[in-house]
Amino acid sequence: MSAVVTVTELTKRYRGVTALDGVSFSLAEHRIHGLLGRNGAGKTTLMQILTAQNFATSGEVSVFGQHPYENEQVLSRISFIKESQTYPSHLRVTHVLRAARLVYPGWDEELAQRLVDVFQLPRGRNVRKLSRGMLSALGIVVGLASRAPLTFFDEPYLGLDAVARQLFYDHLLADYAEHPRTIVLSTHLIDEVSDLIEHVLLIDQGRLLLDVEAEALRGQVVTVSGPVAAVDEFTRTGTELHRASLGGTARATVRGDFGPAAHDRARSLGLDLEASSLQDIVVRLTTSHNGHAAGSTAAADKEAVR
Amino acid sequence: MNRALTVARLQFVGWRSVVGWPWGILALSFSINLALFSAMNENDDFEPTTGGLMSIYVVMFVASINAITQEFPFALGLGVSRRSFYLGNVIHFAGQAISYAAVLYLLAVIEEATDGWGVNLRFFGVPFPLVEHPVLRFLAFAIPFLLLGFIGIAIALVFKRWGVNGLLMLSTVALAAIGGLVVLATWRGWWSAIGGWFADQPGWALLVGWPALLTLLLAGLSYLTIRRATP
Repeated sequence: MSAVVTVTELTKRYRGVTALDGVSFSLAEHRIHGLLGRNGAGKTTLMQILTAQNFATSGEVSVFGQHPYENEQVLSRISFIKESQTYPSHLRVTHVLRAARLVYPGWDEELAQRLVDVFQLPRGRNVRKLSRGMLSALGIVVGLASRAPLTFFDEPYLGLDAVARQLFYDHLLADYAEHPRTIVLSTHLIDEVSDLIEHVLLIDQGRLLLDVEAEALRGQVVTVSGPVAAVDEFTRTGTELHRASLGGTARATVRGDFGPAAHDRARSLGLDLEASSLQDIVVRLTTSHNGHAAGSTAAADKEAVR
Repeated sequence: MNRALTVARLQFVGWRSVVGWPWGILALSFSINLALFSAMNENDDFEPTTGGLMSIYVVMFVASINAITQEFPFALGLGVSRRSFYLGNVIHFAGQAISYAAVLYLLAVIEEATDGWGVNLRFFGVPFPLVEHPVLRFLAFAIPFLLLGFIGIAIALVFKRWGVNGLLMLSTVALAAIGGLVVLATWRGWWSAIGGWFADQPGWALLVGWPALLTLLLAGLSYLTIRRATP
């Protein structure tokens, strides 16, 4: 599978703040990528640089094999839907859709009109008079109907209720299945999208913590609980990310290369083992000191944490 | 270039407001003036000249500021390059300047033919008989649109790239430069020479030539500024 986006040693510094710190990765074609991380982690900055809306301090960015800055060929194949998007104050919902139809080569008007009905958007209403949720829905309609080969959604759900969010996920998945494209979904509602995401990118404080297939990640992080001694024994085979103790029992989240053998070992030690959810993994990795050193020798790290 | 045309069309999707505001306000200004001078019933020697025509230029100035503060983030959000946005903007404003100037010219001709709408009102006519040549008269209507448009674009771009501090810095520098020149001219007694220079300029130079030159300068500077601007 060819890479749609390649980023090499990307760094972005604002006055005194390092928003991105030597980030390198690539995005495979026709996948849904989850771009995860806390507020201020650098997610939006990264997407702004990939869409040439912002400038890198150093490092290389390649989108569809070229630099996106002032590159019409690249830019016309990108759709970037962001929570902070503003619209000219005199435009109505229909005007925004007409503008998007003019600009995106792959625009599907029929889909756009269907989605407007699905999200119950008032076509004739001025954009400045839309509620926060309606504004988000308008962005989602533009993002989906643009059918851009590379589509970024930067927290597109602000103000949307649970039903509308589910509608977004459903339509995203349905349209993605029919018209495969590369999607980057930046979100805080990790549990809601964990079934959707095929590849995970986790950023924390401008650094890339994870760049891994979602499927592979699910087996990599487990939570074991049971007697302290047994938990200690088990965690020796991986990197301990988190531990909660109560009396003689402990519950630890461990990262490592856990196959079926590890499950057997946990059972023989008398431990309960469960795969951590994507949300747990993200929370543990971004709060654990071990997260940054993932993959290094476990014992030394574990001692350092205690 | 295709993409620039797309941007020009993009800025026209809400065309009712784009066209409605300048002409609506001009129409209002004209009706007030017409009503006022009809009501005054002055004798035939009185030929009032109003500044009402300025209103349409002021609306265009405001629109050009909006182009940067509102249309720019929208267009870039839709994946338009800065170059295409800029060129599209130039097409958009030039198109308006040319068509609006043509209408204003026509209205000025009607005004002359009807003896000032029957009440000797001079609203659309250029207030002093500086330019006689039809092409130059047309340009005298069109160029100020572009000049004000690019002044608005330039100011808004300074704000976009350097924020409020940039605007304050620009004002400070402008104040210091103009103030310094005034002091210098007064001290060296240059005022009569400056007045003479203006008096020597032909009408077309003051209404068309110099504004066009200034417009080109601002257009160039705006292009350099927008290339590194972020929405």
